[in-house]
Amino acid sequence: MESQIELAYEDIKGRNNAKLIRFIGDLDATNVETVLEKVCNLFNDGFVHLIADFKKLRYVNSTGLGILLHFSKSAKEKGGSFKIANVNENVYEIIEIIGATSLLEIYDELEEAVAALD
Amino acid sequence: MASKNLKIDIKSGTISKEVATIIFDGELDAGSINKISACFDTIRKDGKKYVIIDMSKVSSVSSAALGELMGGRKLMIELGGDLVLAGMNLEVRTKLSLMGANKIFRFFNDLRTAVNAYKWEFQHQADAIKLSFPSNLKFVPPVRQLVSRIAKQKGYGNRDSFRIETIVDEVCNNAVEHGVQGSDDDIDMSINIDKDKIELNVINVSDPQKAAALKALLKTSMEKQLKIDDRRGRGLALIKMLSNKMSVDFSDKGTSVHVTKVREE
Repeated sequence: MESQIELAYEDIKGRNNAKLIRFIGDLDATNVETVLEKVCNLFNDGFVHLIADFKKLRYVNSTGLGILLHFSKSAKEKGGSFKIANVNENVYEIIEIIGATSLLEIYDELEEAVAALD
Repeated sequence: MASKNLKIDIKSGTISKEVATIIFDGELDAGSINKISACFDTIRKDGKKYVIIDMSKVSSVSSAALGELMGGRKLMIELGGDLVLAGMNLEVRTKLSLMGANKIFRFFNDLRTAVNAYKWEFQHQADAIKLSFPSNLKFVPPVRQLVSRIAKQKGYGNRDSFRIETIVDEVCNNAVEHGVQGSDDDIDMSINIDKDKIELNVINVSDPQKAAALKALLKTSMEKQLKIDDRRGRGLALIKMLSNKMSVDFSDKGTSVHVTKVREE
């Protein structure tokens, strides 16, 4: 069965080309395609600045991390950004081991990520 | 006033020479203190340091008797062992908990569980788990979560359990990826878990071409030339970084991955 993941979207005040996405659940090989489709739809709708809130993202594996790197690259290509906030220590360790902390824009707090949009 | 109601039976040497099992039968009241004390003296003189008390025939425990048990536990702890309580009925267990004994003693539902806990902790006895599942990605999440929960239940901390979950996930994903697509062959997993480490062994029937690709990837991995955009390399890198030992055996029958993860917390 596919791991459970929910993406909840929220507008960011004063930013028509930005969206907040709250990741809830586990991101792994069984649901990356679903997540990819949803996030690409946002890019296609003109939301090139995306902020991912990982407060409720319990788990990520190497495949899930691959998709995050892809989002970051795609956003930059579109003149936007993919920022991540509220990463739990277990998930952060996975990102760190892979050496992706320098490739992803990671913020401690959501407010910091939003402020960095300006 | 001596208790007429309490009977004590001591069994030694059946589990290990350092373990004594005490069977209390009756009421542990103020009048039973001398009997309990004498019992602990006998055990200490006999060189025991680990006591399992079978409480299944105990009908009540007074605070004075509980104090005597605490004294016995202190003695065993000083000798490097422990004193644990097993098999209490609900009423006795509730009363002991109300007196705060559950924060001092380890409670076990029955004697067998208490004995297993001793073997786990003092004899480093490993528990072995074997499971097989179809070579399909959708079976991996429940498998990795199961192993992580087992680790937690065995006393491993959250971080260790998370790392174990990641290792199982990556190893199994690799096994599915390098397996023969559409094959009916299952992936076989065996886990040995003891107090200090978890050993994982995953065997799958490999597609010969994919096995060759895995060999090449492993070689690259060993030479530390993995690139961040190498999807499969990331999984291998994670396994290597999160585990203490990893090896892969290739044979005509399949690919076998062995991983050892030492407990850190």
